[in-house]
Amino acid sequence: MINNVHFSQYIPPTDMHYVVGTWSQAAGQVTGTIAKHKTANAETAVVTVPIAIPSNSVALNGCKLASIELDYELMAAGATSVTAVLNKVVRGIEGEVAVVTQPAITQDLVAGVAAATQDQHRLKVTLTTPVWIDNDEEYLCQFSFVCAGVVTVDILGAVANFTFRA
Amino acid sequence: MIHNTHFAQFIPCMSFHASTATITQVAGAVAGTIALNRAAADQTSLITIPITIPSNSVALQGSKLVSIEVDYEIFTAEPTSITWTLNKVTRGIDGAVAVVAAVTKTNTVADAAAKTVDQHKQVITITTPAWIDNDEYYLLEMAIVAGAGGGTEKFLGAVANFTMRA
Repeated sequence: MINNVHFSQYIPPTDMHYVVGTWSQAAGQVTGTIAKHKTANAETAVVTVPIAIPSNSVALNGCKLASIELDYELMAAGATSVTAVLNKVVRGIEGEVAVVTQPAITQDLVAGVAAATQDQHRLKVTLTTPVWIDNDEEYLCQFSFVCAGVVTVDILGAVANFTFRA
Repeated sequence: MIHNTHFAQFIPCMSFHASTATITQVAGAVAGTIALNRAAADQTSLITIPITIPSNSVALQGSKLVSIEVDYEIFTAEPTSITWTLNKVTRGIDGAVAVVAAVTKTNTVADAAAKTVDQHKQVITITTPAWIDNDEYYLLEMAIVAGAGGGTEKFLGAVANFTMRA
């Protein structure tokens, strides 16, 4: 049996979901990197990171999600806040809607303070209780960027940290 | 313990990142396939493929990236050139930029042959295969200098070949 607590999965900006704001694919600020770029506008943009790691129909097998890190840059000015929410989505059976709950998390950079400065950021979201992912579940980590009219945002990527057991 | 040298990961075209290009999702030239289409234009486009395989915070565990295969088609007319760069991105800590280093590699299809009007499978082989740390990810960059006579290109997908150890 494998039980390795040190696995991670890179999730590129092209695999994320963007609502509100004008987003485009652009070269990153560092040559050779890639980003999804938000133009300046006063609005709350929501970036959702789908945690695309394996699940398993047997309890205590597959992946136990521990934390998620988002790499992003705020340019021209700081944001008002950057706030993370983790949504656990239990898929509906045929004919039924999905059910969403929000597991308890902490984010290491305070939403309206350290997470919102004009700078390069690595924001870590840690599950209070790491979870084994069932095959009928998916996890979506949602980041709300509350922006005034000047700030622009680059999303560089994310990394999910997990235990893999099989 | 698992130590399997034959793992491969399909990376769909939707995960590719494009800059300086007009890109649309289209049906592939073969019915039932999918592609990203780059519209003909006299410009230098960068198509970047994020290598989405697991990483690990422990040395010599997780994934050792060996090679990347890229499936694409060139229509109507040859571009001036296509060049390939494999970048290793070491993520910055909070407040610091990422650091990019080019990785030494070889191409199975020579530059002149890789830009002909045809279906192509380019294999990029890393000279020294590398275990991927959880603070790193790899991006394969395809620079297309279209020139005035350049036609359209369709990108079907990529496959990363790696050793998995856990």
